[in-house]
Formats: sequence, structure tokens, C-alpha cells
Amino acid sequence: MELALAKAAFAFYAAAMALAFLYLFYKDDKWSLWMLRLMGVGVLLQSASFGFRMHSFWLIPENRYFLPINSFFGALSYLSLAVAAVFYFVEGRHRLGILGAFVLPWPVIGLGSALIWADPKTSGLVPALQSYWINIHPVVLMTSYAAFGNAFGVGLALLVQEHQIKSRKPSELCYRLPSIEELDDLNYHIIAAAWPVLTVGIIMGGVWAYNAWGRFWGWDPKETWALITALIYAGYLHMRYVGRLRGKKAIYVSMVGFASVVFTFLGVNFLSGLHAYLSGGA
Amino acid sequence: MNLLLAGLNHKTAPLPLRERLAVLEPQKTLHQLRSEGFAEGVIIATCNRFELYALAPRNSGRGAAELSVFLERQAGAPFGPAAYRMENGDAVRHLFEVASGLDSLVVGETDILGQVKDSYFVAKDAGMTGKLSNVLFQRALFVGKRVRTETAISVGPTSVASLAVDLASRVFGNLADCSALILGAGAMAQTLSRTLRSRSAKEIVISNRSWDRAREIAAECAGSAVPWEEFPRALAAADIVIASTASPTPIVNSETVLRAMKGRMGRSLFFIDISMPRNVDESVHGLDHVYLYRMEDLEKIVAESLKSRDHAVRHAGEIVREKADEFSRWFESVRDGREISLTHSDHGDS
Repeated sequence: MELALAKAAFAFYAAAMALAFLYLFYKDDKWSLWMLRLMGVGVLLQSASFGFRMHSFWLIPENRYFLPINSFFGALSYLSLAVAAVFYFVEGRHRLGILGAFVLPWPVIGLGSALIWADPKTSGLVPALQSYWINIHPVVLMTSYAAFGNAFGVGLALLVQEHQIKSRKPSELCYRLPSIEELDDLNYHIIAAAWPVLTVGIIMGGVWAYNAWGRFWGWDPKETWALITALIYAGYLHMRYVGRLRGKKAIYVSMVGFASVVFTFLGVNFLSGLHAYLSGGA
Repeated sequence: MNLLLAGLNHKTAPLPLRERLAVLEPQKTLHQLRSEGFAEGVIIATCNRFELYALAPRNSGRGAAELSVFLERQAGAPFGPAAYRMENGDAVRHLFEVASGLDSLVVGETDILGQVKDSYFVAKDAGMTGKLSNVLFQRALFVGKRVRTETAISVGPTSVASLAVDLASRVFGNLADCSALILGAGAMAQTLSRTLRSRSAKEIVISNRSWDRAREIAAECAGSAVPWEEFPRALAAADIVIASTASPTPIVNSETVLRAMKGRMGRSLFFIDISMPRNVDESVHGLDHVYLYRMEDLEKIVAESLKSRDHAVRHAGEIVREKADEFSRWFESVRDGREISLTHSDHGDS
């Protein structure tokens, strides 16, 4: 059931993404409205799927009261759910349907790769993970990743809009995308909201590490890269706040930050010892 | 019942004649109309047109010609060939074309739809509408909306001034937070400052070699003036710069702009150069956060947009014809007392 629901959610996300791309090229608000509806159904289906996952996780006695995000499948599916939900929230409030084409590929890729490559089996938590911190530390971090994913989409839209206006041959797209300054502000606000979440998530990891191993920080690759990510975004926020950096160059810095997010989440698993919990990968 | 139309517009009638009609009070005219044996009636009055739609019993001997005579009496002047007079199917199609913006001065403009709607409600409040005119006008509004969603008739800029302001809003978003700096005192600069003002730009600053002239224009568009020597400093505070001086050499180059950008904290700067020869050096466009559009760039974009409207106009015409024929069939059926359904062909409309 969990898998069937996840596949259905994937189908809805993919259809919503297709509509988002249609909306990019054809002026008809019904595409954007249907995109939002399909997204809503997708988020519901995936939440239900995640509910079933929690249920089967619960059946393993040592896993009780913990969230099933200890495997690639669980983590990716939580992450794509969070990106979709954050987008649903942002889109529902701001009605910037055009951004769907820049953000929706992420939940589609996230959930799609979970379904194709990751092993959906649930297994017992290793003793080190049997802590209430598993419900907090990774969840908080992945929520910030979801927001950074949305900011990345907004940044892409800004680069497209900047190019449109610099080219002196603006197409229909130019009149439909939000303005450069609005996209710049939105990108800034999302990152400004996500950065404290990331930082708190990292500190929580330190506290958990202190409780479990008696030390706060171990320079494990995952820790190091999470710190690098936080520093890049801190640099972005600082430069943006001080006012020296806006527009295209600011977006490049925030995109390096997002590359670092992706690497921290995926790449580091091949390097990390302590954080090699994520199981069931390719 | 016969549907009648008598009217004149910007294509058929000179302004003085249209002005004679513009002063008529619609409600009063409609009541007058009823006392003369016409049944239902609606007046569409805008800057560019005055049209009277009315219904008259078939055997009343009142046709479009009589309706026109009625209007001429109200206006106190003969219309001659300046007016168009239509009945039934032709009148329906004309109304649908008007609502779709096909008959407008700027084809596809959207104001007319609201004006048709308001005109209809004025007549309705005056008790001058009945079943036929209610359905007719609701249909016209529906067709006007549909043409705008299904065709590209209202898409894209139609004038250099509106395009320049649209582009500025693609850089800054809401123009209410934007200041504009106007260099020079050409007619085009004034048109642009009016367009900016109508889009509620926060502030308009004028700089001109002649201080008196700068103050004069500033007074006209509720802006302020700065002395010519100080305009490079004013660049730092402006968002939109319109250059239209008669200077034979560029007055703004990349050094001037780079200096201004230092105080702008990375906020974009948008130049519109409508002068000939150019006032703003091309190298400015190469700077980060700086965009320069010249007259020929704007003209090229407008020309392309109008070209693509031609195609949309044909498509819109097909929709209007189809919907007008459909309405006319319904209208006939009501007149013959065997009413058919009008909504059956609207499957999928929403």
C-alpha cells in the first residue's frame, strides 16, 4: 500500500510538473490552477504513503516512536514531501504559478529516484539511532533542505528573467515571470528563513553527538559539509544584507550553497563513517 | 421583436459629433426611448463610441433607421454616413466584436469589456432590459472574456510607452516603489512620465538644461526638478531613467553609471533612451544590474507584438462569428415561440 500510494503521488507530481511547463509557454491560468490541485492531491497521497511507512515501522518493536527516515527511501520520500509541501504553501499564498516549472522537478526527481533506486524495506533501527533525536535532528535539517530547494528554483527563475531583459528580445515568458527584484527578494527571504533552521539542525546534531558519544563535534564528512553549506549561505546572507551583492551574482552564490546541500545529503554518504546510517541505497 | 443598433465610433464619426452624444445622460435617453415605442434598450458610451441597442416589436414599423433618427434628435445634429445602423444578426455580431475589443482603437484592449458590463447594468437599473437584452449582453460579456483567454489578442505591448513601462515593471515589480528620472523635455519623455504617473510611480524627477523648462514639466506631472549639473548624482536615487535630450554626444556613459551604482546597493537601474542621436552610451548595457533599451529596441518589440496580434484577430473573428450565429439562431427561435437551448454548445466552457 505504501508503495502504491507513493507511486500515485509520483504520478500526480509528474503531471503537475508537466502542467507547470505548459503554463510556462501558454497563457492560461487553468494550467496553473490544475497544477496546484494535482500538487495538493500528490501531497495528500504521499502523506498517506508516509503514514503507512510509519505504521510498518511501528510494527518493529525497537522502532516505536521513531520516524522512518533511517533509509534512503524514507529520507528521500520525506524530503520530496517537504519540498512539495513548502511549494504548495508558497504557491498557495503568492500564486506565482510560473515558479512550478523551476521547483517541481525536485520532488519529482526525489521521489522518482527513491522509487527506482532505493530499497523501500523498513528495518530495525541500530541502537545508536534509537533516540528521540532521530525525530528532530534529521527532520529539521531536511526541512531546511526543502526550503533551499525552493530557493534554488526561484534563483533559476531570476536567471531566466535577467537573461530575458538583457537580451532586449523579451518573450512572452518575460511578462509572466515575477520581476527581477521580486525574485531576488523572495530568494533572500526563503534563505533567510531556512538558514536558522539549518543551523539549529546542525547544533542539535552536536547535542545528540554529545549525548551519544560524549563529544560535540567530530569533523565527520557529513558534519563538515553541513557546516560548509551553512557557511556558504551565511556568506550569501551577509553579503546580501550588507547590500554589496544582489541579482545574478548573489544567485550564483546561493546556487553553490544548494550544490553543497545536495552533496551533503547524497555525496557525503560515500565518505562518511559516522553518518553512514542511510541504508538501502543503490 | 427586432434587435436594432444605431451608433458611431472613432472610425466613422469625427470627434465633435461624438462629443455631442457623450454629454447625453444614458438613463434619461433610455426613458425617452421607451416613450417612443421601443422596448428594451442599452447604451454603450465610451470616449471612442456611442451605441444604442434597442428592441422593437416586429410590426411596430421601427427599424434601425428610426432608431438613428431618435438619436439624431437627442444629439441635435444629423449623422448622415457617420453612423452605422444594423439589425438582428448584424447587430449581434457587432456587439460581440465590440466586447471582444475587435472594434477598439487599440485592438484587444481590455477596458471595453468592463465598459460594456457597466453600460448593461446602467440599463438594467433603469429597468430597460428584458429577457432578450439580458441574454444578449451576458452573452457578449462571455464572448469577450472567452476571446481574451483563448486568443493572444490582448497579449503583448501595443505602444512604445506602455512597453517601456511594462519592461520597467519586469525589473522592479510594483512601480509604486520606483523613482523615475527624466533627462530632457521631449514630447515622448512627457508621454512616458504620464504613463509612469498613471502606473503610480513613486516619484518623477526632471532634469533639463533649461531650468525653467524643467520646472514647467515637473509642475505638469506633479514631479520635482533638479538642476542639470546635478543629474549624475540623481542617478544614484533613480530606478528608471528616461533620456530624451537633443545632445549631439552621449550624456551618460559607463563611468557615470558605475559611480551612481556605488550608492545603489546592487539595486537595478533601467535606462530608456529615446533620443536621436543617443544620449546613453551602449557600454552601459554591459554593466551588472543595468539595462538599457533604445528606441529601436522598443519599436522592434512593439512591431512584433502587433504582427502576432494579426493572427489572434483572425482567430477571435472566428469565435465571434460562431457565437453570434449561435445567438441569432436562439433569438429567431424565441421570436417564433419555439425556444431552443442556448447553452448546449458551451460544453467545456467555464
